[in-house]
Amino acid sequence: MTAAGGALIAIESVAKRYVTSSGPVDALDDISLSVAEGEFCTLIGPSGCGKSTLLGMLGGLVMPDRGRLLVAGAPVTGPDPRRVATVFQDAGLFPWRTALENVEFGLELQGVSAERRRRTASELLGPLGLRGFAERYPRELSGGMKQRVAIGRALAIDTKILLMDEPFGALDEQTRVLMGEWLLDIWRRTRKTVIFVTHSLHEALFLSTRVAVMTARPGRIKSVLELTMEYPRSMESPEMVALRAKLWSEIREESLRAMQST
Amino acid sequence: MKVTVLRLALLAALLAAWELAGRAANPLLAVPPSAVVPALRDLLLLRSYPRLPASLWLTVREIGVAYALAVAAGLGCGFALGMNRLLGRAWGPMIAALYAVPAVVWYPSLMLFFGLDAASKIAFGFLLGFFPITLAVLAGVRQVNPQLVLVARAYGAGVVTVFFRVMLPSMLFTLVGGLRTGLALSVIGVVVGEILGAKDGMGALINHAYGLLRTGDYVALVLVTLAIVVGSDVLASLLERRARRWSE
Repeated sequence: MTAAGGALIAIESVAKRYVTSSGPVDALDDISLSVAEGEFCTLIGPSGCGKSTLLGMLGGLVMPDRGRLLVAGAPVTGPDPRRVATVFQDAGLFPWRTALENVEFGLELQGVSAERRRRTASELLGPLGLRGFAERYPRELSGGMKQRVAIGRALAIDTKILLMDEPFGALDEQTRVLMGEWLLDIWRRTRKTVIFVTHSLHEALFLSTRVAVMTARPGRIKSVLELTMEYPRSMESPEMVALRAKLWSEIREESLRAMQST
Repeated sequence: MKVTVLRLALLAALLAAWELAGRAANPLLAVPPSAVVPALRDLLLLRSYPRLPASLWLTVREIGVAYALAVAAGLGCGFALGMNRLLGRAWGPMIAALYAVPAVVWYPSLMLFFGLDAASKIAFGFLLGFFPITLAVLAGVRQVNPQLVLVARAYGAGVVTVFFRVMLPSMLFTLVGGLRTGLALSVIGVVVGEILGAKDGMGALINHAYGLLRTGDYVALVLVTLAIVVGSDVLASLLERRARRWSE
């Protein structure tokens, strides 16, 4: 981790409580984490531990009750599509727009000319593996393709920071592994700073430079693992097998707590 | 092609049945199509009813005003109730319940309140058109996927952009359907209002011909009125197609 001044993202003592019909729920309690530029930082933890809430706060869609979040030194006050792009869990594509038009969406809102945004989006379709699918509507695409369009929409606005909320959670395992490899390739070429929420140990170990394990609700940071292995990583190396066991024991404990509390 | 043939076949069969039934029945009460043709010719040449153009124009204007008011109020109320959860929960079901009341029961009070001139017809056309439009907006707002609103906000959309880029396209089909139903009902409201009691307009002419047992003229007037209805529906379907193209 770099010195505090060098962090691109700083989360400082953030807390969030939701008021539901069955009383208040503490989603996050005193979370602090900083992420340096170019890192691939994964948040992993049991269901309902507030990972998505934390990501929503970084994206400016959810406001913390206490603490603050800084992006490039400035407090987050709302969505900032010039710095931060978000990929949501279930793609969230606009069904009345073609794949290409969905990729163009962010640029359109930023007032980029039709010709320029069309060019940018078209150039992205190749690496997304969607060449020839530009004019298809979301209902005509497979789950993996939809998620790649959603990632394309995030990459199109070319932000330094990419927030990904379980982007492959709804995909079958084979597609998921392939999408992970593909994302790794994209990340290594663009050197974006990625915050990645997942339930998958495999994804966390295969992709991340750092893994933050969160506790059951109210979510706190339980531990942070630094991963220094070279890419692409072999999941069978002794080092990886040991890390996997360690990560699993931490998550298992929290998942059991989460199951007992509900 | 086959559809057209089938449509024409049904029309021809109905006309033939009508002709046979009309010839068999009392000529004062029933009119076969062969007797309608001269009546229609007299009507269009302004021989039987010289007031036809003025009456037709009055009815069209009444429909136009009634529908414009219904659209404005329906969209306004629909969005106000749709965007505000509490209001929607409180008043939405009441509006749906009122829609179920046969609207013609209100008409006598509208005549008492607005008089026998155009105002009461406009009020009735408005009343009929207002409900389906409001309810379509309410249903449409509920169709908007909140996840898509969140996506748009994350990419920098404000309230206005969310409205035009996410909400309107999401609810377009329902909305346009409601607007079309509203138009049809506004037309019905105005014409029924005129038939129930008016000094002028197509309904008043129909009433006049019917009252004097000028059955041929009566049918000819109905045909002209039918042309307005079909014309307005064709116009609405053109707008609907335009809206679909815009949404894509």
